[in-house]
Amino acid sequence: MRGARRGPLPGFGLALGFTLSYLGALVLLPFAALLLRALQLTPARFWELVSTPRTLAAFRLSFGAALTAAAVNLLCGLLVAWVLERYRFPGRRLLDALVDLPFALPTAVAGIALTALWDERGWLGALVAPLGIRVANTPLGVLVALVFIGLPFVVRTVQPVLRGLEPALEEAAASLGASRRQAFARVLLPELRPAALTGFVLAIARGLGEYGSVIFIAGNLPERTEIAPLLIMIRLEEYDLAGATAIAATFLAASLLLLFAVNLLSWRQRRRVGAA
Amino acid sequence: MSICVQGLTKRYDRQPVVADFSLTVPAGELCVLLGPSGSGKSTVLRIIAGLLAPDAGRVSLHGRDVTGLPPQARGAGFVFQSYALFRSMTVAENVGFALAVRGVPRAERRHRVDELLELVGLGGLGRRLPRQLSGGQQQRVALARALAHRPEVLLLDEPFGALDARIRAELRRSLREIQRELGIATLFVTHDQEEAFALADRIAVMALGRLVETGTPRELYLRPQTEFVATFLGAANLLVGEATARGVRIGPVDFPLGGDAGGEGAQRRVQVLFRPEDVALVAPGAPSPAPLLGTGTVESCAFAGALEQLRLRLPPFVGVRAIAPPVPFGAGSFAIVASRPPHEAHALPLAPGDEVGVAVRRLHALAHPGLQFLLLAEPSPEGLAAVGWAGELTRRTHARLAVLLAGLPEETARQRLGSGLPAVTFHPVRGVVEAAVAELARLTAPDLLLAGAPPGRGATLGASLLATGAHHLLLVRAEGPLPERALVCAAVGEPGKEDVAFTGRLLRHLGTHVTVLTVLPAASPAAPRTQAERFLTASARTLEPLGVPAATRLGEGDPEAEILAVLAGGAELLVLGVPLPKADGALSLDGIAGRLVERTGDLPLLVIRSFPEMTT
Repeated sequence: MRGARRGPLPGFGLALGFTLSYLGALVLLPFAALLLRALQLTPARFWELVSTPRTLAAFRLSFGAALTAAAVNLLCGLLVAWVLERYRFPGRRLLDALVDLPFALPTAVAGIALTALWDERGWLGALVAPLGIRVANTPLGVLVALVFIGLPFVVRTVQPVLRGLEPALEEAAASLGASRRQAFARVLLPELRPAALTGFVLAIARGLGEYGSVIFIAGNLPERTEIAPLLIMIRLEEYDLAGATAIAATFLAASLLLLFAVNLLSWRQRRRVGAA
Repeated sequence: MSICVQGLTKRYDRQPVVADFSLTVPAGELCVLLGPSGSGKSTVLRIIAGLLAPDAGRVSLHGRDVTGLPPQARGAGFVFQSYALFRSMTVAENVGFALAVRGVPRAERRHRVDELLELVGLGGLGRRLPRQLSGGQQQRVALARALAHRPEVLLLDEPFGALDARIRAELRRSLREIQRELGIATLFVTHDQEEAFALADRIAVMALGRLVETGTPRELYLRPQTEFVATFLGAANLLVGEATARGVRIGPVDFPLGGDAGGEGAQRRVQVLFRPEDVALVAPGAPSPAPLLGTGTVESCAFAGALEQLRLRLPPFVGVRAIAPPVPFGAGSFAIVASRPPHEAHALPLAPGDEVGVAVRRLHALAHPGLQFLLLAEPSPEGLAAVGWAGELTRRTHARLAVLLAGLPEETARQRLGSGLPAVTFHPVRGVVEAAVAELARLTAPDLLLAGAPPGRGATLGASLLATGAHHLLLVRAEGPLPERALVCAAVGEPGKEDVAFTGRLLRHLGTHVTVLTVLPAASPAAPRTQAERFLTASARTLEPLGVPAATRLGEGDPEAEILAVLAGGAELLVLGVPLPKADGALSLDGIAGRLVERTGDLPLLVIRSFPEMTT
């Protein structure tokens, strides 16, 4: 906001003012209202509301599944991005377009499709049922749904970086005697790490907030397969506004903390590589 | 012998980007591979490093054949133009990379890294990240990194291309010192001749995928063997003159020549080179210290530090063709570039417009004359006619001739060609004729391919023979004498200029009368008409100084009918430009050109390729 740094574009003050009020009205105001509500509760009452076994189980499931799903997507997304960028094969463009499908699909549609697929009588569910693995109506089902919706994030953040890497880097590594594996692990991976972490953060964020696709496949058994956003929903429907607020505020704080931590890691990576 | 490559060939889409390239760099030598962009020099370097596989040829490093080995196993250090430093590693980690992947213990690695950083002048900067260094420093890191594993050879691909002039000079000096200290065979690729002169023990000049010449910088500058090197290295005045018993004749003036003209036989054509500093400028009428070329007008003079650089314009000498500086199309004169030290400039101050005597202190005659022909010799009547033409044309133009024997015995070919040919080689056909033509064209880089064309096969044969290389094509369709009159059908514009220019280059030796014809669509507006008239005037002005009698003609209406009508007036040679290549790069003689080929009976055809950059 230093006046001395005048950019070539006019209206800095106006643009900043607009941005701040827009973000304020759209993002900060609801948060503030939520916090205000939560503050009306006494600490003892607040603790009582969020420390019920059912609430704690919902938190565990929500954060656990989001982190695990994002981790799975980190690995698989890297692989998918690598294949899409580094190889030329028939159907590559189609495959590339398919990656965006989880973005575009209404989450309820995704939920119903996944449930149909992974139900004990579904194509895939029937396949794994004899192995004693049940997906629908278990925490595993939640994970499957979150993996599905989180895939595009890592792929789409890594892809442009992979495309922009100069071939000379790999050639230099090869001429210096590095095997393909060494070149990948020591040269390429560090270049991809910041972008991959960003994708990871986005996938976590999406996983935490996901509701529509999960509730169909999860079965929503209290203390077993009930996610935090659903629990908030249930509390509201029971007209338990205090309960809903307490859970929501805690969920919000925990999410912010987690995202901030991972972003910090990603930012440090980025600074080292010197990427923008 | 440290780097040795033999017969390297690399094709992309069947077009050779490197053709039959051989070079040896002995241990301890710094060899600069110099060439214009697109000449294939980086491709050669990448093949040596193993980053690219050749289609043919062998690479050995230190006497070990490494052709089939991956880059990891070659023990070469490679420096990229873009530095290609690993951004996430510190400078020390970058330099130590080659050692780390080889499992060298940490302590030893650190010792070697410090030693290398000291060597490239970056001692103490090991803990920085690459992006914290300047471009010049980054390239020093890349150099240290490439030397860490004690490679047997060092390969550098335009390493200083992205740096400014001062840093570049500094890095050159460092590289030279380091290379001498390590005694490592080094191949340095650049398109910058100044850089080549500053660095090289030896320069290898490349053009169009071939090695043109190698030699020390001094040899290549003072005594180049080829037109390309003469004009590519430094500023040059290059003219085509005649070798005489005593020296060289340029127009009316005889220049004595120190031995290397070798005027065997009368009237041999030679290219003569003199550098700007070989030109002496004398006041008009004053005694000249050197043979006087003529009186010129100062066109421009510029101060360039230690030397004053001048450009002079001289009236044309009939029969003298200037190659460099290039003569603008349609100019009725030619230019000479000169330079002189301050004391000479002080003694005879000159300004644009002044008249001055132009003398030449020293001349160098190039070994090779201008033209190179390739003859496809077949036993058919048309083939034999082509052999006769080739003999006569080669004799008159003092060209070099390579004969590809496709079913014709060498003895018969020799008889038909006749005697008095300066440089002829014979090559038997093995396998498919087109492939053999392409192979020989690759080896000899001819200006012109001569072949016989049986009736009705002109267009298809023409297209397939044009596709064998980057040459123009002369199709002979019946026995006959060399042409007295030629018709050049030229389109207005750049391709048309090439049609006229090459026709002039070839026919100036035959005394052929040339008519340049351009056909406009019926009822053309004034603007294209003026443009066409200007083109025709320029064509005549380009041909006349070469000693080619020229007439011009502007037709209107259907080009095909117009051309046939002019032909009916009498011409023994038809000159056509190749139509634009198709999108896939294929040439074909269809459309007007194709119909003309079919409708002109047994008239010889000269087909000029006007788009060399699109077909090589």
